[in-house]
Amino acid sequence: MDEDSALESYFDDPVGNVPDASGFLFEGDLGLQGPPQLHDPSFLSSLSQPEKDIGEDLDLSFLPDDLPEDTCGNAASNANMTQDHVFDGYRPEESAETDPNKPAVMGASTFCPMTPMTPMTPVAESSGIIPILQNIVSTVNLACPLDLKSIALQARNAEYNPKRFAAVIMRIREPRTTALIFSSGKMVCTGAKRIGKSGGRSLSPCPKVDEEDDPLIPQATPLVFAVYSDSEEQSRLAARKYARVVQKLGFPAKFLDFKIQNMVGSCDVCFPIRLEGLVLTHQQFSSYEPELFPGLIYRMVKPRIVLLIFVSGKVVLTGAKERGEIYEAFENIYPILKGFRKQ
Amino acid sequence: MLVEDYRAGDMICPECGLVVGDRVIDVGSEWRTFTNEKATKDPSRVGDAQNPLLNGGDLTTMISKGTGAASFDEFGNSKYQNRRTMSSSDRAMLNAFKEITTMADRINLPRNIIDRTNNLFKQVYEQKSLKGRANDAIASACLYIACRQEGVPRTFKEICAVSRISKKEIGRCFKLILKALETSVDLITTGDFMSRFCSNLGLPKQVQMAATYIARKAVELDLVPGRSPISVAAAAIYMASQASAEKKTQKEIGDIAGVADVTIRQSYRLIYPRAADLFPPDFKFDTPVDKLPQL
Repeated sequence: MDEDSALESYFDDPVGNVPDASGFLFEGDLGLQGPPQLHDPSFLSSLSQPEKDIGEDLDLSFLPDDLPEDTCGNAASNANMTQDHVFDGYRPEESAETDPNKPAVMGASTFCPMTPMTPMTPVAESSGIIPILQNIVSTVNLACPLDLKSIALQARNAEYNPKRFAAVIMRIREPRTTALIFSSGKMVCTGAKRIGKSGGRSLSPCPKVDEEDDPLIPQATPLVFAVYSDSEEQSRLAARKYARVVQKLGFPAKFLDFKIQNMVGSCDVCFPIRLEGLVLTHQQFSSYEPELFPGLIYRMVKPRIVLLIFVSGKVVLTGAKERGEIYEAFENIYPILKGFRKQ
Repeated sequence: MLVEDYRAGDMICPECGLVVGDRVIDVGSEWRTFTNEKATKDPSRVGDAQNPLLNGGDLTTMISKGTGAASFDEFGNSKYQNRRTMSSSDRAMLNAFKEITTMADRINLPRNIIDRTNNLFKQVYEQKSLKGRANDAIASACLYIACRQEGVPRTFKEICAVSRISKKEIGRCFKLILKALETSVDLITTGDFMSRFCSNLGLPKQVQMAATYIARKAVELDLVPGRSPISVAAAAIYMASQASAEKKTQKEIGDIAGVADVTIRQSYRLIYPRAADLFPPDFKFDTPVDKLPQL
């Protein structure tokens, strides 16, 4: 499916550069419907894994490629680490074995041993379901005071109602997003999510380099960005577009401290759930008040994520600062939900 | 086995005669009072029983307004005016207790629930974690929790009806209080509300029992997944009443239960197909199952 191929490519990260060609092009479609397809040999071959001593039921497609023997920046490897930690669930058996393999495979990361920090599922099979990101909220500092009135008058798609709210609400169509632009120069960008197919390539989330002196020159042109449609990238792109709009209106806008503040994901476990049972056993984390809200609100502690769990089996995860937290949280909750399946 | 000798205020052991306490003050009542012995004036000088659990045990002296002519000065104003500031530290708390009692009175809640509510409020107030919230909101939420804890839950809408706070705010405070006091409450079930709703509608006991059975069965058979228990209860009451001699409309039931009549309709549609299985076996039908209204 579409999102899966981009997901694949998301984790095969070269940092920042236009991706180094061959290692990443996936011949053939990456179906990610369930574990069996993950082990499609075509993936493994295209990923050019040096070590294949790991059994074939092991899904390697989520391991970032060995390609970055070049500079995986620290931040990128950090990003990798969170993802790896997420996909611990995908490597059930060979926990110990993959450890020594991983550094070799990944090159730059120094991942800590894989003892899961949440004690729940000793040996669990992966759920095979991946939550899809639905919304990203990010903030950025344009670092110059703004005159909201002039922005509202000059810009299109801007509304400003100072009596109601002290910010300009601007919308753009390309990554369909909304921004709140405040007079201090700070901006909140919401609504970014992944759109459709990607070309199989993506950029990693940009490392946290400082961009003070490089205000609005994107590292690739917006056109190129549009190809790499990945939620976090969309959010960043959108924020840059807003910053460019503000810049074009005559303010010396910069692009400081872009940070993703919240990510929302959703998925479906495809079976009905007994919420009453879940609230009985997980009382200290759950809150289920049918009078107030039809879903159960589960506040997970280890990745600090809030999950809304519904009787139909749909799950919404929110409160994440990184994509990996969402995946990890879902992997943690899935076996619990399976235990409360309605017969 | 000590015996009290009230004449001298002694505690004496009857076996060996040892006097244990001497001049122990008798805390019994000051006067012997009989009911309505033309006693418009209560001669007791000690006033009401204190409520030390809830008040922080203040021992302030209060001077009440005088009664005789001497208590008024020349212009007719009373000489001793100051009755304020009896316990400034817990003034807000006393106010809240008054509010709780008022709210509880409106829906005729018994004393034990009021006491429990007061206790909860005191705990929350002393913790100060919800200090920014309106005291009335916290009081309403405490009332809701107390009703739940006593096993006779009231719906949020019922509490809303006697409080000036919105359902949303009561719900928020409710969750905050549960977190602050680190307690939890049981999940509501359909049966908790049956007796109240049915009595308010004037339905006979048979219908009430039938409705209880229907609602329980419907939840067991999972005919209404994800529906609020109140809505299911309302639909069950509707079905039971329509099958009996006392038919109630959806609107009437919706008014009593605080449920919209479209919601009753939705839940009713879900239980209607299995209506025959849901009725209790010994139910006497005034309207047979196949003649039940189909909406």
